[in-house]
Amino acid sequence: MRSSMILAAGLATALVTPALAQDAYVVGITAALTGPPASTYAPAIDALRIYIDRVNKAGGVNGKKINLVIQDDSAEPSKAAANAKKLLTQDNAVLMINASLSSTYAPVVAEARNAGVPLLFASSVCPKDVYPPAKEGQFCTTAFAATYDSRASLAFIKETAKEPVKIGFSAMAIPLSRGEIDFAESQAGPLGMTAVDKEIIPPPTADYTPFATKIKDAGANWVFSWAPWVTQVRTFEALRRLGWTGDYVTWAHLEAEGELKRIKDSKLYVVGANALFEDNLPVQKEIAAAVKEAGGKYPAEQMTEGWIAGMVIEAAIKGAGKDANAAKIQASMQNLKVDLKGLRGGPIEWTKDNHFRTKQFYRVYRWDGSKIALVKDWFAYDVK
Amino acid sequence: MQLAVNIVVLSAIYALIACGYVLIYRVSRVLNLAHGELMMLGAYLLLTTASLFGGNPWMAIGAALVLSLVVGVLVYVLLMRKMTGEMVLAAVLTTVALGILLRGVMVLIWSAQQQYPGQALGFSNPALVLPGGARISLMAALLVGVTAATYLGLFIFLRFGRWGVRMRAAGQNPLLAAQRGINLHAIYALAWGLSTFTGSIAGMLMALDSGLTSSMMIIGLKAFPAALVGGLDSLVGALIGAAIIGASEVLSIQYIDPLLSDVIPFLVLIVMLVLRPWGLFGTREELDRV
Repeated sequence: MRSSMILAAGLATALVTPALAQDAYVVGITAALTGPPASTYAPAIDALRIYIDRVNKAGGVNGKKINLVIQDDSAEPSKAAANAKKLLTQDNAVLMINASLSSTYAPVVAEARNAGVPLLFASSVCPKDVYPPAKEGQFCTTAFAATYDSRASLAFIKETAKEPVKIGFSAMAIPLSRGEIDFAESQAGPLGMTAVDKEIIPPPTADYTPFATKIKDAGANWVFSWAPWVTQVRTFEALRRLGWTGDYVTWAHLEAEGELKRIKDSKLYVVGANALFEDNLPVQKEIAAAVKEAGGKYPAEQMTEGWIAGMVIEAAIKGAGKDANAAKIQASMQNLKVDLKGLRGGPIEWTKDNHFRTKQFYRVYRWDGSKIALVKDWFAYDVK
Repeated sequence: MQLAVNIVVLSAIYALIACGYVLIYRVSRVLNLAHGELMMLGAYLLLTTASLFGGNPWMAIGAALVLSLVVGVLVYVLLMRKMTGEMVLAAVLTTVALGILLRGVMVLIWSAQQQYPGQALGFSNPALVLPGGARISLMAALLVGVTAATYLGLFIFLRFGRWGVRMRAAGQNPLLAAQRGINLHAIYALAWGLSTFTGSIAGMLMALDSGLTSSMMIIGLKAFPAALVGGLDSLVGALIGAAIIGASEVLSIQYIDPLLSDVIPFLVLIVMLVLRPWGLFGTREELDRV
């Protein structure tokens, strides 16, 4: 009798589990939730989780829920590869997300391609394969964009500077940051600026003062830094402690808004593609309320990147219809336009050849003495 | 002048961290590869006590220091004590596992975002102008002073303190020390406590100077060559080793290539291992035993 009951219970479990799995779209995520760069990725994934929970509470997409399966890869390629294999073969993900360092891309791309599952880079840097002409199956919602960010930042410096620009550069010793700063340095001359110093700073560094000393001694009156936030802000603060009084332009990472309020320096400019919460948009109020309700670990102002990824995932699955599978979702993503409600200067718009966006918009903010102020409103570059 | 200040500050950071490696190795021959994580834990403990005792920063700092001492003792009592009698390699691997565990737990508790204990405590960190026009932040100056005081305190403790002498005895000959009635477990627990305590001071001061991220533990690893170059069983060696590593790092940034600053400490270490494997002030016998 007892063994019959156990057998029945086992059978019932076996029958019910696949049914539950089939009732949900499985989205697999490999993300750097721990490890040195976690501060860039963990808030985005937290925001994505909160967004998808809200979608599920509201009935899901096409009548089905979205099941986020999140795996930590600690920004290690081997772990990311194992995560991707598990998410694609055991969890049967219909969409893969990568939110980790670029060193994890190759194994995840290979696994996703072999499984025929679309791969979305969300909060991790967009690989060149998503720019026109885009490779099939790879998409990106992340705000920052190599070369475009430097062009926007240098253009801002050129139009703001009132005297000849002697510019110093600061990067982290990782390929992406170095490549971007090398590009910026190559653009400085044609724009009439004199590049006086470039510091490539190893991560992490116990003391940024030796690097800042060199920039200051080189006579820079402007500094541009494009690196993870820790390198950007610590170089700036080390410069200030050395008595440097120049202007500093840097990328508006997730942490930028809180940091502008903490540092309160009117010559620290952040160039970014996401609207800061100082704008107080309706969608930002919605995000803040959702984060509060969900008890999110990170401040609402760090949620934009993950929120946008959530909006795009919802739209992509919705566009694929009720029987959405990996192939249908991929087809849907190749013809997608998502209104971001002011979180960025324009929509996320993907075509067959462009899996990044057709226009990249920028804004510049700084601390104006009492609050965060808009220095330059949306300006855009066509992505070709 | 600024160059000299930069060298002193970086050397002080490495010296304060390196003395933790030496304290444990000298007493128990265990290489604590979780020292960077324990240092970072100290900084996070300060963040927590800062929010608990927001109105009283000195109480917050005192509580964090006491907690870090207790954590060190608990690591020994709950974990490393079980390794007594096992191969040294097993104990070292245990510290690796402890480090991985601590890293994950700290992100779970305090999240991965950049934190500022100084702000929570209401401390400002102004720059001080030194003779010659060089500048140093208040917290960096404090770190240099605390490092000097810590080494002085440790020298006095190990030379004249009853428990310090016992620690040296346990390190030189544990069997004989035990036969003379010295409680080896208490000595080892004290060494772990002191090591975590000094490491935590380094973590706290760095966090007060420039903020706290979940990658701070890697700085602990960068201080490791300082201990090895000086000699793993010598506090004087740790001090000199830190000065050599700090100077070579800052000078490479200034005169060669900033990228080399990451490699230079390990280049110096390799040269030292080739020329004098037991370090500048380490004892050869100790190495043979390892």
